[in-house]
Amino acid sequence: MASVTSQSGKSHAGSSSVVPAPAFLSRAEPATSAEGFRPAQTIATLSPIKWIGVSGGLGALALVAFMACLGFGTETISFANVAALLAQGPFAEGATQNVPHYIILWQIRVPRVLLAFMVGGSLAAVGASLQALLRNPLADPYVIGISSGAALGAAVAVLFGVGFSMLSLSILPFSAFLGALIALLIVYRIAVSYGSFSIHTLLLGGVVLNAIFSALILFLTSLAGPYKASGMYAWLMGSLTGPDFQTVLVLAVYLLFGVAVLVSQASALNLLTLGEEAARSLGVEVERVKRVLFAAAALLTGSVVAFSGLIGFVGLIVPHGVRLVFGADHRLLLIASGMVGGIFLMLADTLARTLLSPTEIPVGVVTALVGGPIFLYLLVQQRRRIVS
Amino acid sequence: MNHYQETLNRQLPFVVDDLTFGFGRKEAAAQSPVLRNISLKISSGEVLGILGPNGSGKSTLLKILMRILIPQRGRVELFGQPHAAFSQAEISRHVAFVPQETQQAFSFTINEMVLMGRYPHHNRTWGLGWEGAQDRAVAMQAMRDLDVSHLGARLITNVSGGERQRAVIARALAQEPEILLLDEPTAFLDLHHQLEIARIIRRLNRERGLTVVLVSHDLNLASQYCDRLVLLREGEIVTMGSPEEVIAGESLEPVYGCPVLLDQHPQTGKPRVTLPV
Repeated sequence: MASVTSQSGKSHAGSSSVVPAPAFLSRAEPATSAEGFRPAQTIATLSPIKWIGVSGGLGALALVAFMACLGFGTETISFANVAALLAQGPFAEGATQNVPHYIILWQIRVPRVLLAFMVGGSLAAVGASLQALLRNPLADPYVIGISSGAALGAAVAVLFGVGFSMLSLSILPFSAFLGALIALLIVYRIAVSYGSFSIHTLLLGGVVLNAIFSALILFLTSLAGPYKASGMYAWLMGSLTGPDFQTVLVLAVYLLFGVAVLVSQASALNLLTLGEEAARSLGVEVERVKRVLFAAAALLTGSVVAFSGLIGFVGLIVPHGVRLVFGADHRLLLIASGMVGGIFLMLADTLARTLLSPTEIPVGVVTALVGGPIFLYLLVQQRRRIVS
Repeated sequence: MNHYQETLNRQLPFVVDDLTFGFGRKEAAAQSPVLRNISLKISSGEVLGILGPNGSGKSTLLKILMRILIPQRGRVELFGQPHAAFSQAEISRHVAFVPQETQQAFSFTINEMVLMGRYPHHNRTWGLGWEGAQDRAVAMQAMRDLDVSHLGARLITNVSGGERQRAVIARALAQEPEILLLDEPTAFLDLHHQLEIARIIRRLNRERGLTVVLVSHDLNLASQYCDRLVLLREGEIVTMGSPEEVIAGESLEPVYGCPVLLDQHPQTGKPRVTLPV
């Protein structure tokens, strides 16, 4: 077949096809027919410029929200002061080093608000990806049991004595990753075995999976002894308390990598929403893409859960809202969900820190109180759409 | 490869030889195959109809041609090359598939839907797969061909069944295929839209030389619009030939297990099937 030369009019990039295309395919030239003057109609669709514009705009918004959240807490710091202290950097020398606000800002709030941003962004990006993968707009790592799978993995590691040392930064997320991956594979089996459109089966499966994992976690907790147990309870409720810079940086590496992998599969995700057979017919290597997505989603969920426990509904409501505003194209949806999810969790955590200050509400409680009712509303909406 | 062989390959986009396929694991698949010993040649520029009762393996055959399903035994060649020699994207540049039902879990616009047909043409080694001017032009032309260009900004979830089916065919055309596979293209459509889709398919075949393989339950539609028909029963080919040869009492009655009445279409003289009272 090497001697075959292609004389077709196809000019697509990266074509390595060995088969000559028939001549009639030269019709693919733009529809500016020779005689008829036809105005060049174009298709309005996502362009790189819009993509950069939206993600840049949301990035700027995230920066503003970040600085605003830094100011709030038991001790209020003015916006101007926040900006001034941030400008000095984390390693200021001399007098400023000992200013209380400087210490509060750099040692407590910056790591925490950054953690909130990263966790929220990752959960939202995972949620959007799972929704496409499972073809179910109500999928969320928390609702369908992926998070509790990760929590079980992490709980096993904690029970066997992994503390927060440098070593634990890799072992804890790894066992959480394994837990999340196992949960994801089970949920996926449930989803495909009853036909890919069975929203309620998937949710029921997720609920049961959640119950089983929670029971196992509680069992492990009761083995752990009262001191460890109270810490585990606090962690299970979802908390962003007290991270140090080192933790945040290590986590940032995991999360950036995971989100980048998800975004790189965005156009394949668009096609996967059509169903696996349709996606394959359009040229997606479905099995490979699925493996990549499973691994990235489990990595993100595992890392997030290992450090911040169970924070629910961010992955559900954020992509839903973003889709309403920016459309369903995952190339934009994933990055925009990441930004908005980050902003959402920074604000939720600030609320959790300040509402009953100096007492803290677990941030998972705040997101569940906001997200739960929205989830129920969407569930009823979905039901209506199916019935009608 | 000599010139003769090359021409032959181009005239025969698909050669299927002694194909056997079953679902599930190997032993289970071998015990109850969905398709058995299928041999079939599809010529360039023809409209081939695949007929048969429910569960006779029509859709399965179509999905094997698209390499959505992979047969346990037998050969499938595309333009003289074994299927396995192509990547999924390469196949999708030559063959497009219109499924019976399109899942719509999310609200894409029709523009976005049709542009998804350009996916196999994208260079995906770097970047997010942005559509270029060529992609947009091809998609626009496909939308004009199917008369959905005015619906571009509408959501796929908010248009009628006929419009949605046209948009999905436009997406298939955006792949710039030489072969179009259609799974029950007129199921769920009313008479008006059935006629519309059938005419569009014939026009694409006549004007563009598009090779069409369609699966249908509608014997009369197949009789009118197909050059050649294949009749399947329980995974095996019963008859293959012109509509006059296949739409005949002696081949239809045993396959469908019911008596049929046959006459001729008043306009075309092609065989027409009705059921006795």
